[in-house]
Amino acid sequence: MKRWFALAISILVVMSLLIGCSSKSSNSKSEDGKTTITFFHRWPNEPYKSYYKQVIAEFEKQNPDINVEEVTALNDDYKQKANVILGSKTPPDIFFSWVGEYGEKFIRDGVALDLSEYYAADTEWSGQLIESQVEHFKKDGKVYGVPLFTDSKLFFYNKEVFDKLNLKAPTTWDEFITVLETLKKSGTTPLILGNKSPWAAAHYVTALNQRTVPGEVLDKDFSYQGAEFTDPGYVEALKKLNELKPYLNENPNASAHDETRNLFIGGKAGVILLETLEISFLDDAPFEWSSFKVPTIEGAKGDQEGIIGAPEGFMVTKKSAHPEEAMKFLKFLTSKANGEKLIKDTGFASTVEGAVNENTASEQEVKAMDMIIESGDMLIWADSALDSRVFKPYGDGVQAMLGGTMTPEEVMKSVQEAAKQVKK
Amino acid sequence: MPRTRIIPILYIAPALIMLSLFVYYPLVRNLVNGFYEWNPFTLDRSFVSIENYTRLFKDPVFYTVLKNNLFYAVISVILQVGLGLVIAAILEDKVFRRFSTFFRTTFFIPVLISMTVIGILFSFIYNPEVGLLNSFLRAIGLGEWAEGWLGNPKTAIFAVIFVSQWQSIGYAVMLFVLAVQKVPGELYEAATIDGAGKLRTFFSITVPQVKEMTFVLLIYTVTGSFLVFSEVYVLTSGGPANSSQVFSTYLYQKAFIDSEPGFASAIANVILGITLIFYFVQNKVLKTGEE
Repeated sequence: MKRWFALAISILVVMSLLIGCSSKSSNSKSEDGKTTITFFHRWPNEPYKSYYKQVIAEFEKQNPDINVEEVTALNDDYKQKANVILGSKTPPDIFFSWVGEYGEKFIRDGVALDLSEYYAADTEWSGQLIESQVEHFKKDGKVYGVPLFTDSKLFFYNKEVFDKLNLKAPTTWDEFITVLETLKKSGTTPLILGNKSPWAAAHYVTALNQRTVPGEVLDKDFSYQGAEFTDPGYVEALKKLNELKPYLNENPNASAHDETRNLFIGGKAGVILLETLEISFLDDAPFEWSSFKVPTIEGAKGDQEGIIGAPEGFMVTKKSAHPEEAMKFLKFLTSKANGEKLIKDTGFASTVEGAVNENTASEQEVKAMDMIIESGDMLIWADSALDSRVFKPYGDGVQAMLGGTMTPEEVMKSVQEAAKQVKK
Repeated sequence: MPRTRIIPILYIAPALIMLSLFVYYPLVRNLVNGFYEWNPFTLDRSFVSIENYTRLFKDPVFYTVLKNNLFYAVISVILQVGLGLVIAAILEDKVFRRFSTFFRTTFFIPVLISMTVIGILFSFIYNPEVGLLNSFLRAIGLGEWAEGWLGNPKTAIFAVIFVSQWQSIGYAVMLFVLAVQKVPGELYEAATIDGAGKLRTFFSITVPQVKEMTFVLLIYTVTGSFLVFSEVYVLTSGGPANSSQVFSTYLYQKAFIDSEPGFASAIANVILGITLIFYFVQNKVLKTGEE
């Protein structure tokens, strides 16, 4: 009798273990008649976290029957988490995406929902989004995403140091080199780069590629399955980057990007390449600073005026049971009021027209936004524009080149091989 | 009696079910996955036979990875097992007995700190601009030795291996101290009477007496160094340019960043193969577990 009792207990324990393991799949239909939508984004950190919290609270107040649930992961972790949960049976309703190949694979593999009808149905909302930024979420004439903010890259310089040495912001490559040379002679680190994660130098490469490689070749190489990277302009771009090496901080591969940004703010370097959304960090700088565009390269075959950058935004999953509610939330997020709040609270340049203005942003931020709107098309940075299998040897190669172990030709050769491998 | 036969089976059933569900099933599944190629979003699997493996063996990164893991294993064995035993013997020496508790604790503290914390700590120490190590080198006039330790392809993996040693040596010392304490005191006494010096006693008594512990630690450090992940991930993420990539970070890169689960499965199977070989070789050569 006792033995049977023990047996029953042990069976019970095993069963409960097994049941515990097969966790309930979460369901978006809820008990009290409320619809729950899951919102998967990459900002578990401040000040963005409170921004989303406030917007969501406001949205739930206005729509008492909708409940927004957040799932978050920071940057690189986001990419990995996205791979897992977007492939699952119950993906989130709304998810964050970069543009370029990163977002395109979601469109290609049928993860992202076609949002064209929502854009067409509510022109009052869709009309106030900056057209050139929505363009990045389009494929074959259909829109697959809603841009939240946009970002570009400029050289920022310490104006006090420049003034002391009688230097002007350079516009051409030769002027740039002269400026760096003068800075070096004065004893300051002329140019600072934190390339511990290879995307930092990849942004240099993207900007230089834009100058040295013809636009149509870039378009082809940056398209899925079209990549070849055989244009001599790519090698030239890397050679230009190599020309900067004597002016860089000693071990660019050993420093992280935010470390170098802090060093620049601390007055330890003359020039740094920063994203325009990092302008808000520069408010802490105890000196006067200003910016200039990536210099033009005489005689090179690329676009000498263009800028690099990309918007970032959200997509809705095809499997979502509540696309209507999801869109309602995205529309709310990209309303003028929330766009203004975005730049004000977080420094992210909202893609809602007129949201970045003198009331909500600093002078430099407005200037940067005007530049982005004016240029229209931006070249997307290589780290999100390319298939990660092509970017990996590219970014690593540039890292090795800066470390002195690879030549520009060798780097491009490994990129070409990776492109071939992916095409197969 | 049927009842007596079923009861023992039921006793081992929980362990058996758990093991097969979480160890054997994934293992077999992974062996199969190594022959497929698919992408995590569509799950359209296509059979590619051994292409994943041929690609892996042609991949130059694979050999960097193998080399790095071997460095890891060799250095770990020399420092953790070799130096660990020497430190333990010194700590247990009569002269040092008085301070031994203090040193044992000091050596053991790093073992208790999470690897992530240590990783972040050391990335400050290794920082080329403001790091402790470079500042120290400059302060003592060895400025030209200052390096971008984690950013130089030649030094990155060794910088990471050093951090591992710093953390793990305390564990080895602790186990060796226990083993040395178990050695009967008469042996040392007899040796002293016979006129053996400190070195002689160490090689003729301490080393053979702690043989069993040495073997256990040997297996532990060698397999450990083939599975190392956190140190490398936190300090360098395998960079720069794959120069400090090890098996598990390479696997992680392929599976979760490059979205190539099939190829990643192939890497996992190769790791399994290598650790199995090590296990069998050690089992045969060292004949552990006899005592």
